[in-house]
Amino acid sequence: MPWDYSDKVLELFKAAVQGDAGTHMGELENPDGFGEYGSIACGDTLRFTFRVRRHPTDPARDVITVARYLTFGCTSAIAASEALCSLLEAQGKTPVEALKVTNQELVDFLGGLPEQKIHCSVMGAEALQRAVVDWARKRNYPIDGLLPDLAAENAQEGRIVCSCFSVTEPYLRRKIRELNLRTIAEITNALKAGGACGTCHHAPGGLQDLLNEIWGQPSGAPDEGAGAGVQPLSGAGRSSEHLERQVEAVLKNVISPLLRKEGGDIELIDIKGYKVYCRLTGQSGRCRSAPENVKLLVEQPLKEQVDVRLQVIAV
Amino acid sequence: MKTVYVDNNATTAIAPEVLEVMQPYFTSEYYNPSSMYSAARAPAHAIQVARETVARCLGGVNPLELMFTGSATESNNTALFGAVQANPARRHIITTAVEHPSVLEIGKELARRGYDVTFLPVDRNGELIVDDFVRALRSDTLIVSVMMANNETGVCYPVADLARIAKETDAGIVVHTDATQAVGKLPVDLKSALRHVDLLSFSGHKIHAPKGVGVLFVRQGTPWRPYLLGGHQEQGRRAGTENVPYIVGLAKACELAEAGVAEEQNRVRSLRDRLQATLEERIPALEINGKAAARRLPNTLNLAVHGIEGEAILYELSRHGICASSGSACTSGTLEPSHVLKAMQVPFTAIHGSVRISLSRYNDEADIERIIEVLPTVVAKLRKLSPYWDDKRNCLSI
Repeated sequence: MPWDYSDKVLELFKAAVQGDAGTHMGELENPDGFGEYGSIACGDTLRFTFRVRRHPTDPARDVITVARYLTFGCTSAIAASEALCSLLEAQGKTPVEALKVTNQELVDFLGGLPEQKIHCSVMGAEALQRAVVDWARKRNYPIDGLLPDLAAENAQEGRIVCSCFSVTEPYLRRKIRELNLRTIAEITNALKAGGACGTCHHAPGGLQDLLNEIWGQPSGAPDEGAGAGVQPLSGAGRSSEHLERQVEAVLKNVISPLLRKEGGDIELIDIKGYKVYCRLTGQSGRCRSAPENVKLLVEQPLKEQVDVRLQVIAV
Repeated sequence: MKTVYVDNNATTAIAPEVLEVMQPYFTSEYYNPSSMYSAARAPAHAIQVARETVARCLGGVNPLELMFTGSATESNNTALFGAVQANPARRHIITTAVEHPSVLEIGKELARRGYDVTFLPVDRNGELIVDDFVRALRSDTLIVSVMMANNETGVCYPVADLARIAKETDAGIVVHTDATQAVGKLPVDLKSALRHVDLLSFSGHKIHAPKGVGVLFVRQGTPWRPYLLGGHQEQGRRAGTENVPYIVGLAKACELAEAGVAEEQNRVRSLRDRLQATLEERIPALEINGKAAARRLPNTLNLAVHGIEGEAILYELSRHGICASSGSACTSGTLEPSHVLKAMQVPFTAIHGSVRISLSRYNDEADIERIIEVLPTVVAKLRKLSPYWDDKRNCLSI
């Protein structure tokens, strides 16, 4: 499906891939701030680093001068990373001011994003926050009051609500409020949570329950129906244990030795009622795998020695 | 810049020969083939001839065993729901985890309606384990539906063997196969190798006919009920006025496709193999999905590039005039990567970086050259941007 990207998104993506002058691909060595968000398993990751011009006495007056990113992700994820760095470098913000950069500002900078790609901008804001936390730690700047408890989230504390994308309850609670997410679809577009198997949508303690708890009253959205039940493979339909043992014995003691003399063997796959599924292997498999040969070599002796109703099916 | 179109498993260019035979049925021969006046005989006759042609291309089946539909998706729906309706006593369906959504989603829907549905897994090569299939067969198995060849990886499944095993187990099991990717690339012979198959689906637009026309084969005697009601067309099995020009076009395309199987197996295969070998040489950390399978469609090459994302690759290819596709999450409209690659357990560092290149008889050496020129550079540039690629050591870094 071709996404309806804005010209700005495509322009930034193209410039980034070509490594044009003024783009921000890369990773700073010994950065003043380092933040990473996402994972390769989930499909996108942003590694964000920045450098500041240090104020001689007051860390709060450090100014971000250089910002760089490495991004694993789609067209819009790469463009959003460019947007983040351009925005920060252009505005000369302090790290604390940078904390106020929202994903909406990135979306606006990009001239809009398709709804299902909003999570690319959220990734930018999250990586930035983490980098600022790193800066604060390095500069010994007390930042606790300004931020949600990212340390806990980073350590993946808290119950995982969406296991497909490893999204935890504390993170969901914070982002649902921050981004004013009102429906499951909005959560999925912004955070990816619930975007794969969907079992967390209406599960107890799932996305709908969190929405209800945070915003009050159920939305009354109809349930989407249960997921597909998958029947485990099984050898259903077996009837007589005794018959099976007899078949196995004849295969093992009569047919297999004959075949082995010629450099082959027989493998029993399954028995269902009077149907015996087996495979000729080795020499016998190569020259005698045709179904008619299996009938002759295997079915006839089984009919004679066990039960005339037996039928052999070559696998 | 000439467009290099290598997304032929998605759709194909209409063959000029096909377009030509269709033309009269848009203009002078527009009559409803069911009408009584003599002018309507021409379109009615054209459908009859088309049915005979397709019947011949499928190994010489009875033309009355074929019906024309609107798409392979319609054929699959008609086949499966029709078989379910006709066999109320049976409750078990066997299909695979790698079917096209038009079969897979029916499987899930039937599970919601209370049927037992077995989705057979595939191994790392994308192949089915036949023993799993044998063990899955039950006394109440209603349908076995296994595709002939996978649209994403090109891996071919042993449908002839599976159909025989199913029928030897229980002649009442209805065997269906989605042959959409197979027709024109593999021999499809319903009188010999595939004689145990009851229902077979495919569409026109994968073989250089237009979109919007498909075929369903229903072997005589198969317990099956019509799905679209409300008309006598197609012997009452698919109501709706026949799409005459498209049916005529599809028959012509079948003829060309049958004649082209040998070319697919030789010329197209050698183009694909050369592309595969060169890319393997020039792109480090590259997976070829389905490469180790016993049989693979000659036109299909499914790559998984470690450390970068497929949608970004496609955009870059598109800027260089190359049309390909991807099983990446970002192209699927959901947030999940391809169910086929997931079922094959493609490594998590590569599953988002898949690119499918699928050739047709209209591709040539120059197309392959252009891909060889462009793709390795695109991959290298995107890897420079990726946090999971060590550019100095030229390897994945997690």
